[in-house]
Amino acid sequence: MSDFARAIRFQPVHLVIVGLILTVFVVGAVHSERFATLTNVSNIQDQLVVLALVALAQTVVILSGGIDLSFAGMLGLLTVLFASVAGGDPAVFAAAVVGILTLGALLGAINGGLIAFTGIHPLIVTLATSSIMAGVALLHSNQPSGSVALFFEDLVYARLFGFVPYGTIYVLAAYFVIGFMLWRTQFGTRIYAVGDDERAAAISGVPVRLTKLMVYSLSGLIAAMAAIYMVGRFGVGDPRAGVGFDLRSITPVIVGGTILAGGRGGVLGTLLAVILLILLRNVLNFLNVSSFYLWIVEGLIVIVAVSLFAARASK
Amino acid sequence: MTTPLLAARGISKSFGPIQVLDGIEFEVNAGRNIALCGENGAGKSTLIKLMTGVYHPTAGHVEVDGKPVVFPNPKVAIDAGIAVVHQEFSTLSALTVSENIFLEKEPRTRLGFIDRRRLKADAETLLADLGIDLDPGRTLDRLSVAECQMVEIAKALRTEARVLILDEPTAVLSSRETEHLFRILAGLIDRGMGLVYVSHRLDEVFEICTDITVIKDGGVTSSGTIADYDHDKVVAAMVGRDLGDLFPPKATAALPQPPALAVKGLVVESGLPPVDLEVRPGEIVALAGLVGSGRTELALAIFGAAQAQGEVQFLGESLPRRSPGSSLARGLAMLTESRKTDGLFPGASVGWNFAATSLGKDAQPYALSPANEERRAHSVVERFAVVVDDTGQPIDSLSGGNQQKVLIGRLLENAPKVLILDEPTRGVDVGAKAEIYRTLRALAEAGVAILMISSELIEVVGLADRVLVMRDGGIAAHLTGADITEDAIITAAAAGDAAGASLDRDPANV
Repeated sequence: MSDFARAIRFQPVHLVIVGLILTVFVVGAVHSERFATLTNVSNIQDQLVVLALVALAQTVVILSGGIDLSFAGMLGLLTVLFASVAGGDPAVFAAAVVGILTLGALLGAINGGLIAFTGIHPLIVTLATSSIMAGVALLHSNQPSGSVALFFEDLVYARLFGFVPYGTIYVLAAYFVIGFMLWRTQFGTRIYAVGDDERAAAISGVPVRLTKLMVYSLSGLIAAMAAIYMVGRFGVGDPRAGVGFDLRSITPVIVGGTILAGGRGGVLGTLLAVILLILLRNVLNFLNVSSFYLWIVEGLIVIVAVSLFAARASK
Repeated sequence: MTTPLLAARGISKSFGPIQVLDGIEFEVNAGRNIALCGENGAGKSTLIKLMTGVYHPTAGHVEVDGKPVVFPNPKVAIDAGIAVVHQEFSTLSALTVSENIFLEKEPRTRLGFIDRRRLKADAETLLADLGIDLDPGRTLDRLSVAECQMVEIAKALRTEARVLILDEPTAVLSSRETEHLFRILAGLIDRGMGLVYVSHRLDEVFEICTDITVIKDGGVTSSGTIADYDHDKVVAAMVGRDLGDLFPPKATAALPQPPALAVKGLVVESGLPPVDLEVRPGEIVALAGLVGSGRTELALAIFGAAQAQGEVQFLGESLPRRSPGSSLARGLAMLTESRKTDGLFPGASVGWNFAATSLGKDAQPYALSPANEERRAHSVVERFAVVVDDTGQPIDSLSGGNQQKVLIGRLLENAPKVLILDEPTRGVDVGAKAEIYRTLRALAEAGVAILMISSELIEVVGLADRVLVMRDGGIAAHLTGADITEDAIITAAAAGDAAGASLDRDPANV
């Protein structure tokens, strides 16, 4: 395999996903003339930003052999706090952004600390902290509230060249930075090592606990990025903003070829799978299929993807 | 007399009240390869850990270049030039060769990022230097076990090491791979490194070591240059007794009964030849062959732990749907090859591990009986002389031989009529081996049919009444009586293979 293919963690399944993306796109275009328009292509990009970010966070966590189910509570809490602190005042906007990113990283670090130092399974830890954060968010405001500076909303809704929202740039930048981190930093190598075999990693001198702590902290930081975007898009903070993102964040990671057991995979597959899933959602809308079916379809996709990879792994 | 690179001077080590090492003297010299021999539990691993900063001596000290040193942790020992290749690999299968070799020591660019180009180049240089032909960009899940071992060695030598300690390096290698390893080690000795070679395989020791130290019960029983030793002298120093009575006499009586186990046209995997075999009550049949010849797969299929097409008859009755549970219930028990992953419940107690397959045996209605389980566990501890303080202690705190005795005891709890044993003496010391051999023979004499997979030729020749040699998933030869010789087995196992085909285990491993 060439160095480049290895750097981007290319897998043959990525070609399959690209093929599916093209197929779904053609089906949509054939079915509706409003589908393949610049407006709709921009909308699709708007729709994928949040999922792309939480799935990116989840990719890093799963690569390290863990799982983060705290997004449901965390996104709610972070959007509510951000919308109430930032308000409509442009003057405090920058400080609020820095504050919420820091808080996200800290909340993630609490997850990571509990996981690394108590030995409690990440599933339990993150479900529990998710519940706590959801409770705090609802206590703070039990309905969507707060606001954000208008310039930020304008920025979120602006399009470069008429069809590229800034949200897309935001996502691509995040994926590039994390992808680079995984390939070219010691922390990146440590993530793969810990996810592959904790014992062997520890014998080799990898600081396993520190690595886990940093992984979940990074996950919280990326969740905060998603929360900031959500407030910009909806204009308010919503304590229920994260509902469903615990499981939805896992789907694209698995479909994209990252192994649930850890140590294998990368961010490219996740991004492609996010595009596929959002596109599918969009096309089903155009076909007038109830979005409830989408829940069923996504569930089936996960089961099929996991069993395909499991069958391949056992060969 | 030159100053040794590394030496242990009167080193003792106690864990609580238990004295593991007592006043050990040990020297590693430049350009020499010293064998460290001893039975499991003799204290070899403890000595290595003391010399590499994992443990700290209770008395005595370690010297480097004749000067006393203290290694507070392994890192300091590594910095002093002491490299170790542990028995348990520290390689990561998801990482590439170069990433593995330089894990945590990655070359960096000025900005602190990993310098991928130099990482690859450094790995290439190191591998070429060691005469290892591997692509640094490959991930380890695409490499053989032997190649992973090469990576492990390269990893140990990434820093300037002057002493390399290898703990059972050939345990997982075929003989051809072992030869390759020996060439690499010879190169290291030539350039003046000091090697410590820990191995059970005495023929390897005689092949590549220059000196030998034998330890038994925590003390050095014998030490000198290898030329002054032969096989028997080393074993005598290790065990303190003769080899002659290792194997009990074979079955002599005729075995007229119908077979207890009959396998007819069993196809383990499509494309492989169908297998027929029979085992009669009272006989021990060995399945010999190379690693990968399909022995374990066949055994698992017979036992019902793997899918297969074909017929398995048990006491004349055909078993239509086999599963481990139904096999056990009928009296067909199996000892798996990998104790750690497929045999034990590590962390659980000795008693529980023992009772796990026979929990219903002395249960009250609707409830298990821990008291009865413990009583049974005690009886097996006595019967097999298992070295254990308390049946409540975790099984992984026992030595390999004692774990194996507990597992064999567990098999017998269901009063099996057919026993399948996959490598029953792997990782077991000489003394325990002899006990296991006697136990198996006694079982056969009591009418149990035994099918044993073994890669140790001396064991196959010494114990089996009949030998089936497997090759490429089929039975390649059937040997009985005086025809059972190491030569005959090797010939049948390797026929048609490339010249130099590797018979995986060597005969001297007793």
